Order: sequence, then C-alpha cells, then structure tokens
Amino acid sequence: MDNTPDPLDPLLDKWMPPPPTPRQLRAEVWRRIAVVEAEDEAPSLWERIEATFHRPSFAITFVAACMLAGLFIAELRVSQVHSRRNAQFATSYLSLIDPMLADARTAASIEAPKLP
Amino acid sequence: MKRTLLILATGLLATTLANSLWFSLRAPAQPSDNPNDLSWLKSELHLDELQYARICEIHRSSSPRIAALAAQVSRMKTELEAFESTRRTTGQIDFLEFARFVEMRRAVDRECIDSTRHLVQASAETMTPDQRARYLEMVAPLMNLPQPAN
Repeated sequence: MDNTPDPLDPLLDKWMPPPPTPRQLRAEVWRRIAVVEAEDEAPSLWERIEATFHRPSFAITFVAACMLAGLFIAELRVSQVHSRRNAQFATSYLSLIDPMLADARTAASIEAPKLP
Repeated sequence: MKRTLLILATGLLATTLANSLWFSLRAPAQPSDNPNDLSWLKSELHLDELQYARICEIHRSSSPRIAALAAQVSRMKTELEAFESTRRTTGQIDFLEFARFVEMRRAVDRECIDSTRHLVQASAETMTPDQRARYLEMVAPLMNLPQPAN
C-alpha cells in the first residue's frame, strides 16, 4: 500500500458540505419571478389616469366638479366685492352725516339726498 | 391621451364659464357717484318705500345744518393752523384769542355731535328693531364718540 500523501488530501480536508437548501426554495424563486413580472406589467401613473378618464362616469363627475369649483370661486369673489363696497358706502355715509368727518370740499358739496 | 386632454380642457372651460357667468349675475351693481345717494342704505337695511322716503327727508332736512357745521369745522382747522404758524414764526401766542378759539371749538364739536346723534336717532326711529340694530352697528364709530369736555 502506498503511503505517500495524496496532494488532494488537504483540499478534501478543507471541503465542507454545502449548507442545506431552504425547504421552499422553489416556491420562493417562483414568488420572486412573479413579483418582477408583475412590476413589469403594472401600468404607469399616466396610464392609470388615462384609464380613469376613459370612464364616462368619471369624466362627467370631473366636469361637474370643475363647474361647481367655478361657481364657488365666483361666489367668493362676489362676497369680497360686496364687503369692500359696503365698507366704502359705510365710510361715505358716516362722512355724510358727521360734520367732523366731512372735509371742506365735502362740506361745500353737501346737498340734499336724493328722494325716491 | 387625446380624450384625457379633451376632458381636462372641458373641465377648465366649465370652471371659467361658471365663474364668469355667476360673477356677472351676482356682482353688486356699480355704486352711485353721488355720495348723498341713500339707496345703498335702502338695500342694505331692506327699508320699504315709506321708511326710505322718511329717512331721505330726515337727511335732506339735516343737510344744510351739517354743511354749515362742516364748513365751520373746516374754518376752525384753518384757524388752528394759523395759530400754530404764528407760534412757530414769532414764538408767541395770544392766549386770550386762543382760549376764545378753544371755547368756540368745543361748542362746534358739541354741536356736531348733537347734530349727528339727532340725525341717527331720528332715522333709527323709523326702522324696525332689526333694521335699527344693523343701522346702529353701522354708525357705531360715530355714536361712541366721547362728549366734548366743557
């Protein structure tokens, strides 16, 4: 029997058995593949918006909401104009009835209020 | 793509049109240039024709006195400026003349306040309690004036 050391022996000594494979490796691999494929197939944001706008019910609701928004903005503007005008009238009225608020020019131009 | 843009544009158009139409329908009418026009008071306080006519009459009958008092106030302002100018240039002041001026100013102030209060009171008497409350709230800055010192 030949007792000369085999050069492979140290290498074989270093060899370790591979770690045991997870039990559900196959299932995990397929799951990851499915996730990647799903990401590839998911519609973009614009595509989703387009799809939503293609629904007639959404389109009608959207236009109606825009119209209501327009009415709301107009009502806010009306309210602002009204309160500004009221403040002007109130100031003008106060200077009409209070001689101390009326300046010389106003005093000269004060005349009888318009009768109905 | 085209359809989405078309719907967005329609929405924008709907907003603009609704806004313009509603504003033109609801915007208050242009104010009258005449500062003595009391029609604003009529619409603001929802006065009926009779109340409005009565209030116009009260204001019309008060206006000559208010005009005279306003002119007097204006004259006194000028007089006060003249006093101040003299004090600055000569460094002196005629105390007797100034005391007379102060006394006269107090009397005019008192007359102004009385005139305004009388006008407000007479107008308020023609109104319903709700109208009166709103009217008095409106003229509150004048009614809270302190009485001139005697």
